[in-house]
Amino acid sequence: MSRISSAFRSFFAILFSGTLPEDIAVEFGYAKPAPPPVAPEPPKIKPADGALQMLQILQRDSRLIDFLMEDIASYSDDQIGAAVRSLHADCRASLTRHVTLEAMLDGVEGTYQKLDSSKAPDPNRVKLIGNVPASGKVPGGTLRHRGWSASSVNLPPLGKQDPTAISPAEIEVD
Amino acid sequence: MPQYSIGIDLGTTNSALAYAEIGETSSVHQFSISQLTNPGEIGALDLLPSFLYIPGEREFVEGSLALPWQANPPYVIGRMARQRGVENANRLVSSAKSWLSNQFADPTQPLLPLAAPEGVPKVSPLEASRQFLEHLKLAWENANPDSKFVDQSVLITVPASFDAAARQLTQRAAEMAGYPEVTILEEPQAAFYAWIERHPDWREQVHPGDLILVVDIGGGTTDFTLISVTEKAGELQLERVAVGQHLLLGGDNMDLAVARFAEQQFAQKNVKLDALQFHSLWQQCRAAKEVLLASDENAPADQPLTILGRGTGLVGGTIRGKISRDDVRTLLLDGFFPVVAVDAMPQKQRRIALTEVGLNYASDPAVTKHLARFLALAGNARPTHVLLNGGVLQAGAIEHRIFEVLNSWLDAPAKELRSNAKESDLMHAVARGAAYYGLAKHGNGVRIRGGVPRTYYVGIESTMPAVPGLPAPMKALTVVPFGLEEGSKVQLPQRRFALIVGEPAEFRFFSSVSRKHDEPGFLIEEIGDDIEELAPIEVSLPAREGSPEQVVPVTLETNVTETGMLELWCVATDGRRWKLEFNVRERAAA
Repeated sequence: MSRISSAFRSFFAILFSGTLPEDIAVEFGYAKPAPPPVAPEPPKIKPADGALQMLQILQRDSRLIDFLMEDIASYSDDQIGAAVRSLHADCRASLTRHVTLEAMLDGVEGTYQKLDSSKAPDPNRVKLIGNVPASGKVPGGTLRHRGWSASSVNLPPLGKQDPTAISPAEIEVD
Repeated sequence: MPQYSIGIDLGTTNSALAYAEIGETSSVHQFSISQLTNPGEIGALDLLPSFLYIPGEREFVEGSLALPWQANPPYVIGRMARQRGVENANRLVSSAKSWLSNQFADPTQPLLPLAAPEGVPKVSPLEASRQFLEHLKLAWENANPDSKFVDQSVLITVPASFDAAARQLTQRAAEMAGYPEVTILEEPQAAFYAWIERHPDWREQVHPGDLILVVDIGGGTTDFTLISVTEKAGELQLERVAVGQHLLLGGDNMDLAVARFAEQQFAQKNVKLDALQFHSLWQQCRAAKEVLLASDENAPADQPLTILGRGTGLVGGTIRGKISRDDVRTLLLDGFFPVVAVDAMPQKQRRIALTEVGLNYASDPAVTKHLARFLALAGNARPTHVLLNGGVLQAGAIEHRIFEVLNSWLDAPAKELRSNAKESDLMHAVARGAAYYGLAKHGNGVRIRGGVPRTYYVGIESTMPAVPGLPAPMKALTVVPFGLEEGSKVQLPQRRFALIVGEPAEFRFFSSVSRKHDEPGFLIEEIGDDIEELAPIEVSLPAREGSPEQVVPVTLETNVTETGMLELWCVATDGRRWKLEFNVRERAAA
């Protein structure tokens, strides 16, 4: 591009419209070139999506949300028991299919459990209760609860499913 | 040389695939079949439910039907098809296999689902079978990218009672699915091969002169086969000597009977179940039956049945019921396996009006009566050993009852050939046995000799003076003798047929499972009850260019290919040959 024509075009453009022509601005470093068009980004997976998806699965396979959201105060234990027995089997099958659950400590509840006394236990894994010394270092104690740990989670890809749609409404057509 | 022997059990309600590497120390493995288990969710399961669902345009979230090998499949196949079909039965294709052997409808026409509303594109039973086979192939190739399916040795099982046309349709479905040339194997034989595979010492368990009865109760069909043990040059030989008639009656009918009974009990409490609730009841009854009919004495007296409320009220709408052991025993043991005498006969099949299109279910549900009839037709056969197969036999009391009835007919009680891995084998034995047989074909194992399990006839009109209003009586000419073996052929030079060039010639076609001694060329003057009519067969002779010939004299020739397919040919005196095709289109008018 010739310098004279650039100078003229810049002068008149600034005079009449108050901006530099785009090509000149880029050429002389007054503006960054527009980025090349990029493919639309895949939908962002939000932290809550996995949790919502798990609720979706548990509702679909075992109707857990129906059960938790129902007011069961007025029903007899017999009635609740019958419903829960059926729900429990489905819910458990669904849960174990998607999440591998293991005991945090593989001991017998109610018996003495040895711990590493050289350091205080990892609070993620062991919660000390009762007569705990100031250092937090203990040789062991009675195992009250074995704890749970999810060693693997296996959720299908969400794709275009709306994670907030826990369960669609059902309409039966006659 | 193929790397694998692949056995496929293309079942009425479930399909399975087993495979074995061809070689010296080969063992048979069950293949886990990838399929949609829920929208967007793929699972690998032992069985592929033989269900096909035709999805509507906006029925599922976009992309949620994708398979690892196909982004937008036109159909849903397997577990999810079965699940969704409960909610929307009008788009579900089920029992496609039973339609392949239907005498009253053309299985190549888009018939299914029968009750599909206008606008739903129907599929033919043939196309549905092809879809199941194609799914198995693609799932295999997805899991084994280095071993293309077409390069393997593939076997597909069919009921022993499938006629030649139904076998050919099965083969055609495999061809359409891009299979290599498949070998067709009978299901009860496959179940027996599976037993042999589990018992390398099988030669010590059976002896020359023994007669083995195989009872294979599938989801939709029940199949009987007799295998005799003989000795030749010091080697044990197995020969399949009889197969039963086609019996559309299986484990699903039995579970359904229990579920219908339970539904009645709910109805008495004024509770009407919708399709989803009934399906749940059906599943519960299936499980309850296995507990209540367990063989041990401690089986509980009843099992609870729970129907959860529909809508968001789960506990409030829950209805409880139960089913007792006595009821299930009455329904299943006395209904399907009654204690009957050796000369019992099932009720005669009703003739179905030709306008009614549907499956020709067995009209008498008593399996034991059908068994008595089968043994009578097989020349009052008295088996020495019994092999039972099928998921319904997980209920131990059924197995017990079959032996009780059978042994009451025999002088010495029959021995049971039990599998070491019985529980899991009851559902998978057929595919396993087929894969094992594939090995046998490559030299590593024993083979059951058998050949064609029926005698086949063509109809010939007698040249009687016409009587007004009466069709000329038909005679039946034997063209294929019972037991014609794979790789052999039969010619009938003594009888010539004159075929008109350029016009399709049609032969009426008959078969019998009980007439075993008719030699090729033997003419039966009167077609009796022991012979049934099949779909007609036809041949079209093209006109030869520049030739004035109008009529070509031909003789008939039959051969059985190495893969077990029956072929009929017309042979002219100058050696030209035309193949006769099964005309399934004409079945509706048969």
